[in-house]
Amino acid sequence: MSNIQSVQKVPVHKIKVSEKALPIWWLVFRRELIDLWIGGKAFNLVLIYSLLLGGMVYIYSFNTELSLIPPKEAVYEMLKNAMAVAMFVGLIIGADAFSGERDRATLESLLLTPANRRQIIAGKFLAAFSIWPAAYVIAIPYLYVLAQGDAVLSPALFWGAVTGTILVVGYTGVGMLVSFWSGTNKVSYFIALGIYAALLIPAELPGKSAGAAGQFLQWINPMAAVNHFLSKHLVNYRTVAEFWTWLLSSVALAVISVAVLLLVGSGLRLEAGRGSKLWARLGRAFGLSVIAGLIMVSLLLASPVFAFQEEQVLTITVDTESKHVKTGDSVEFNTTVTNTSSEASPPLIVAMNVINLDATGDVVDPEDWSPQRTQYIDSLGSGKSANQSWIINTILEGDFMVYMVLIPEPESVEATSHPATSSGIHLTVDPFTRLNPGGVLPFAIGGPILLLAITYFVYRRRRQQIDMGGSS
Amino acid sequence: MLENHDSVKSNSQPEILVAEGLRKSYGPRKALQGLTFALKAGRILGFLGPNGAGKTTSIRILTTMMEPESGHFAIDGIGSEYPEQIRRRIGVLPENLGFPRQMTGLEYLIYFGQLYGRTASEAKENALTLLEDVGLQQRAKSLIGSYSHGMRQRIGIARALVNDPVVVFLDEPTLGLDPRGQAELLELVQRIARERNTGVVLCSHLLSEIENVCDDVVILNVGQIVARGSVAEVIGRVQQNIVLRNALRVQVPPDSIKAARQLLETMSNFISVTPVGELEGWLRLEIVPPHNGELAKAHQMNNKILGALIRAKIPILGFEVEGGRLQDVFLHLTEESIK
Repeated sequence: MSNIQSVQKVPVHKIKVSEKALPIWWLVFRRELIDLWIGGKAFNLVLIYSLLLGGMVYIYSFNTELSLIPPKEAVYEMLKNAMAVAMFVGLIIGADAFSGERDRATLESLLLTPANRRQIIAGKFLAAFSIWPAAYVIAIPYLYVLAQGDAVLSPALFWGAVTGTILVVGYTGVGMLVSFWSGTNKVSYFIALGIYAALLIPAELPGKSAGAAGQFLQWINPMAAVNHFLSKHLVNYRTVAEFWTWLLSSVALAVISVAVLLLVGSGLRLEAGRGSKLWARLGRAFGLSVIAGLIMVSLLLASPVFAFQEEQVLTITVDTESKHVKTGDSVEFNTTVTNTSSEASPPLIVAMNVINLDATGDVVDPEDWSPQRTQYIDSLGSGKSANQSWIINTILEGDFMVYMVLIPEPESVEATSHPATSSGIHLTVDPFTRLNPGGVLPFAIGGPILLLAITYFVYRRRRQQIDMGGSS
Repeated sequence: MLENHDSVKSNSQPEILVAEGLRKSYGPRKALQGLTFALKAGRILGFLGPNGAGKTTSIRILTTMMEPESGHFAIDGIGSEYPEQIRRRIGVLPENLGFPRQMTGLEYLIYFGQLYGRTASEAKENALTLLEDVGLQQRAKSLIGSYSHGMRQRIGIARALVNDPVVVFLDEPTLGLDPRGQAELLELVQRIARERNTGVVLCSHLLSEIENVCDDVVILNVGQIVARGSVAEVIGRVQQNIVLRNALRVQVPPDSIKAARQLLETMSNFISVTPVGELEGWLRLEIVPPHNGELAKAHQMNNKILGALIRAKIPILGFEVEGGRLQDVFLHLTEESIK
């Protein structure tokens, strides 16, 4: 046998590589795209997505028609949920990218080719991301019908596209990183879903995240931060200049996840992670710390420690959050006034207020709604409470907020005092319901049906291209 | 040894795969302890070894899927420090290869052809030729998901050939195939080596197929090579030791097995006469070893046994001296190594 040193250093065989050959990332992207869409996975996910959106748009439209939420808020909620579902789909497809191929034993044949690893990753990433444009296009008619001509539609479509793209890039990148370091799909899905849940829970609890620390934790959570940005800009008409910093965490997630993916991607191999023990340890430590950090953030955000608490000496609470009634019904509720200070309070006045939530609706005259609009309480001792009962007769149909104001009697005619308010009672007065609120039904049902038709057409076309012979 | 092969043609062929001192451990377990061998173009090398011998590790290293701890190898003159260049020159059919079920055979081969740098039209032309070579031209447009196991192995081999490789690694290609499928696939492997002048490394547990198909053989045990060379050389080298243990097998019609056994047991020189596979009528005879280990005396015993059976008019359907098959060599070597 020849010594290895004596083997010629010039290859015996010439390897043909065409100059017109397509780049690897494009070949992998095209192949993955076909697998994803023709293979059925993407169509199934998008179909489920459209059904979810159809259900949501129906509910939002119903509520909008009842003036429960204004169109701009319905559009925001719809956009937020559409993005959340699209991020989930991107994460799941990303989480299947490598570990799925390991499970199906198809990764080895790809790695045995001279294809550049980073280009393979780029192709897979683009294919996984392809779900977002499709999902967004599906969401547009729903957003349109919910907007009901409101000016919110244009900024919602623009910022939805921008923020959705950033978030889906980040989530798809995270999913692929998890898949890169996972030996099996079970592990990959488990970790990916854990991350998703850890980021989703605080995003759905924005009301509890006031205070500096809570705000910061909300700010670093990409999903929660984007939701905050969209709600301020679309619902409250705040400018982008005021809130653009809330997009930083999502941009950082997108940039970092894609950069890390491309950085470690050169070491893509048959086994999970990279060959080097250092990288394996770093990856494991990073993954565990990310999950631990996210869980901590979730718990902290859900904790009352971060709830906004202003020390109040006198408080007033109501025992009802919302009521759904019909015109002419009576609504009964109670209030409790408590003196939490160490001293006795001055005499107190409790007043009822009713606001029509529909800006174009009729003005509410409390005299029409309740025979007893004000109640008086004598001084309350330290730590003592007093209860009051109230009755409202619903006169108008629509959506109303009833709230109570507690006014400590001022010490003199020249003095003032600080009123305290209760939380509001959301009162929905419902004359009748319609089956097709806002004309949304054709969209809610039509979207999924159209997708089914497209799926059928694509499969049928595919069947015509292939020979359907059985095995022999 | 491989380098001593007697064929003039094979001597003139270049060494396309040279491995020297490849070592790999998994924790405290040494999977490979200095793998050294070479393969010439157009030859088929059988890679043998019991489970855990280091075959898969060797293949993974030689196909650049894993890095050795030490040692070096070169394929077609390209050193192992250039894995991408090596991958351009090898074709691999891994054991348990998965296939995309939603692709047709033709699409699959075109895709991989393009990954190796062919244009779509070149890749299609090449794919059609390969499909014909492996006998799948009729099923070119069928989904791979509808292929039988044998057809999948064939499309896997076609994929391994998509880049006109210098060396092809086939890991258990006949696993799970019926006898006809095995024979057809082995014929295909021989054609690949012969017609393409490609070196083939064939991993298999089926010793008979290695013996029938391979030119050379490497037998691994516990990460070490226990024998290497042409199949004939390896058998010849080990055969003498095994024959000295002096056992042989005789096949008679099943209804004559009782008479044959009685006859042979009356003869001296036997340690035991035991039926082996009674339905086929095989008897295994273990003979008292000859004095001073003389091989000629052992062979005389063979003649005596046959003569006795012929005189008793018992038809002899088969006769084998143990040690004459690669299987015997394999069992002997791996057993010795374990001892």
